[in-house]
Amino acid sequence: MPPNNPLPPKENALFKRILRCYEHKQYKNGLKFAKQILSNPKFAEHGETLAMKGLTLNCLGRKDEAYEYVRRGLRNDLKSPVCWHVYGLLQRSDKKYDEAIKCYRNALKWEKENIQILRDLSLLQIQMRDLEGYKDTRYQLFMLRPTQRASWIGFAMSYHLLGDYEMANSILDAFRTNQMKGPYDYEHSELLLYQNMVLAESGQFDRALSHLHKFQTQILDKLSVKETSGEYYLKLKRFKEAEAVYEDLLRRNPENVMYYQKLIEAKQLSDPDEKVAFFEVYKKEYPKAIAPRRLQLSETGAPAAFARLVDEYLRHGLHKGIPPLFVDIRSLYTDKVKAETIENLVLQYIENLSKSGTFSADPGEVKQPASALLWAYYYAAQHFDYKKDTNRALKYIDAAIEHTPTLIELFIVKGRIFKHAGDPISAYQWLEEAQAMDTADRYVNSKCARYMLRAGHVQRAEEMCAKFTREGVPATENLNEMQCMWFQTEAATAYQRAQLWGEALKKAHEVDRHFSEIMEDQFDFHSYCMRKMTLRSYVGLLRLEDVLRAHPFYFRCARAAIQVYLRLDACPLQDVPQTQEPDTDDLPTYLPLKFVILLTGRPVYEILVKVETHRERWRGSNITTGTASAPRRTTPPPASVCF
Amino acid sequence: MTRAKIELGDVTPHNIKQLKKLNTVVFPVSYNDKFYKDVLEAGELAKLVYYNDIVVGAVCCRIDTSENSRRLYIMTLGCLYPYRRLGIGSLMVQHVLKHVQVNNEGAIDFYKKFGFEIVETKEHYYKRIEPADAHVLQKTIRQPQTAPLPNGTVPHAKTNGHD
Repeated sequence: MPPNNPLPPKENALFKRILRCYEHKQYKNGLKFAKQILSNPKFAEHGETLAMKGLTLNCLGRKDEAYEYVRRGLRNDLKSPVCWHVYGLLQRSDKKYDEAIKCYRNALKWEKENIQILRDLSLLQIQMRDLEGYKDTRYQLFMLRPTQRASWIGFAMSYHLLGDYEMANSILDAFRTNQMKGPYDYEHSELLLYQNMVLAESGQFDRALSHLHKFQTQILDKLSVKETSGEYYLKLKRFKEAEAVYEDLLRRNPENVMYYQKLIEAKQLSDPDEKVAFFEVYKKEYPKAIAPRRLQLSETGAPAAFARLVDEYLRHGLHKGIPPLFVDIRSLYTDKVKAETIENLVLQYIENLSKSGTFSADPGEVKQPASALLWAYYYAAQHFDYKKDTNRALKYIDAAIEHTPTLIELFIVKGRIFKHAGDPISAYQWLEEAQAMDTADRYVNSKCARYMLRAGHVQRAEEMCAKFTREGVPATENLNEMQCMWFQTEAATAYQRAQLWGEALKKAHEVDRHFSEIMEDQFDFHSYCMRKMTLRSYVGLLRLEDVLRAHPFYFRCARAAIQVYLRLDACPLQDVPQTQEPDTDDLPTYLPLKFVILLTGRPVYEILVKVETHRERWRGSNITTGTASAPRRTTPPPASVCF
Repeated sequence: MTRAKIELGDVTPHNIKQLKKLNTVVFPVSYNDKFYKDVLEAGELAKLVYYNDIVVGAVCCRIDTSENSRRLYIMTLGCLYPYRRLGIGSLMVQHVLKHVQVNNEGAIDFYKKFGFEIVETKEHYYKRIEPADAHVLQKTIRQPQTAPLPNGTVPHAKTNGHD
């Protein structure tokens, strides 16, 4: 194989053994064989052996020596594909993908048809989203190995990713008819669904639909078949058929909100009254389902009708003692009239439950369980907290605690009321109380730690988290390992408020590293998903990674980091002995603009605006997640940018 | 009214604070750390009661061995006020026996329902509570023939708490 300076048979056999040792991770033995070749003065400068020795050393963690040997090998044999390939592998292990691609290209210059190098190159190209290059490489691999399944799939996918759906589809078709024999297993089924996805993305829904029908007996994921066919019928405006599909899906799962929405689309209902009547039908059909009841509340506009429906809904929730009842219907509060109706009802429940144990004063009213009053107090507390009426919120939560002092949720809500009122200290103390009541509850534990961070107690928060992190390792280390980003972000902002800039940046950079790691982790899936044929999920993954840093976690953390850097830019740290600041030696304390531009490559003010809007959007979406609504501050946020 | 779900649960180091909270509001005496330490060792003799998944009651007993007999001693048996008269005490009574204060008619009737009788009234039993006297309630349980249980005599129960 080596074009220059070929080794005699004995040494060549040794060289082969080095390669085998490398593949089997027997690095020590590999080095031994390399030494045997290199100790012969005739071959002391044999390029490929030197390169392999370097690569082996790299696997043993001796990076500096590795580079030294690989470079020396390459210098001695610049026309060797092995040396270039090895140099590429070394760069790849250092995540220098651009450099690695260059090396592979050089290697291919000297050996055009090396499958291994082509495969490695294709992985790097897809990782770097060099889609044109990826297509060329996959084409060559396809020509060289037309019998291999991966060749076909990769070839088709390279066209799909470039938006050439027609070509992708014909390759998949040819593959299916020529190559896919044998039993219709899961992989075959996934391939068909992937092909169907390609057709749908090309916008030809009629073709996609007939493809789906043609192969539906061979597709094992029956739910996907149903859901996608419903989607296609809607797109094609074949409403009758769409209706039948979603009716059928609802029988499978009457709690799926999307099915109801699609069914409304299929029935072409636009009038609110029609929609209300629509849900009435499904309430009767599925009497135990919550979804149609809840959706009906959002659609009902008429105050009297709404009052009747929400009365029914609230009674059911309070009777059963559903803790997230408030969170469930909070989105109705955008309508002032609805919020008022709910308030009146809940107050009426409280009055009657405490007098007679019933929801209303009507004779013949059924007596409720003793816990109903408790849940009514609990609801009222959250209701008034939402309305920023702190006094009444506290009145009702205290009534609830008086009624049943053993319910942990009450203390969490009490803490939240204090948080919203701008008192993070009392807030965390109530959470501490809640936490102590069930120390095996991880949710309360995390909530408590978060409240501690908001109150500026980083140390205590770490100790709190330590109850659930791995023993024998510092909590922060384990949290970092688990990519526990909420903790790190909250810690960063806590340090920022305490003006411990170095510590704040340290946490922010930890989060940034998690995102880099998620990008890196992608690498393994390029080959894995092809092998396992999970192509739909794979394409989904690629698209997710493309927009990864748009995630709210990243924006929140980037925002804090940018604010700190701008602060340090405007008011650089003085050269005073760092008595108050913890150890920040390992941090870049002064590279604001570089960091900002690294983040998105756009000017600072633009980024800040963007970060703010994302934060707002995140807050807005938060209303339905039940973590925290917009904080009401009584004091201005500290540590704002100083210009 | 649909039937509420009433279940017993263990006292563990994780949830013992709930027992403390419950005892604090139900009983006028406060129990020391030793009490709660012993409770954790009590196994089936210490139980929490869940009403629709909320802790609303608890019973804590211990076995006293003296005068060649084993006695079940109910240290506490209590239920949060809004959840009384719902069958929760009855559920706990398989373990039951307990301190009852002299003036606690409701509690005495409760025990009498299960066949307990006042066998003695100890004067000045409680130090900081009025009235300070305590009844000793007792029920003799016939020993089943197949299962030799700890000698039948039982309690020494006092109602304190309130009603």
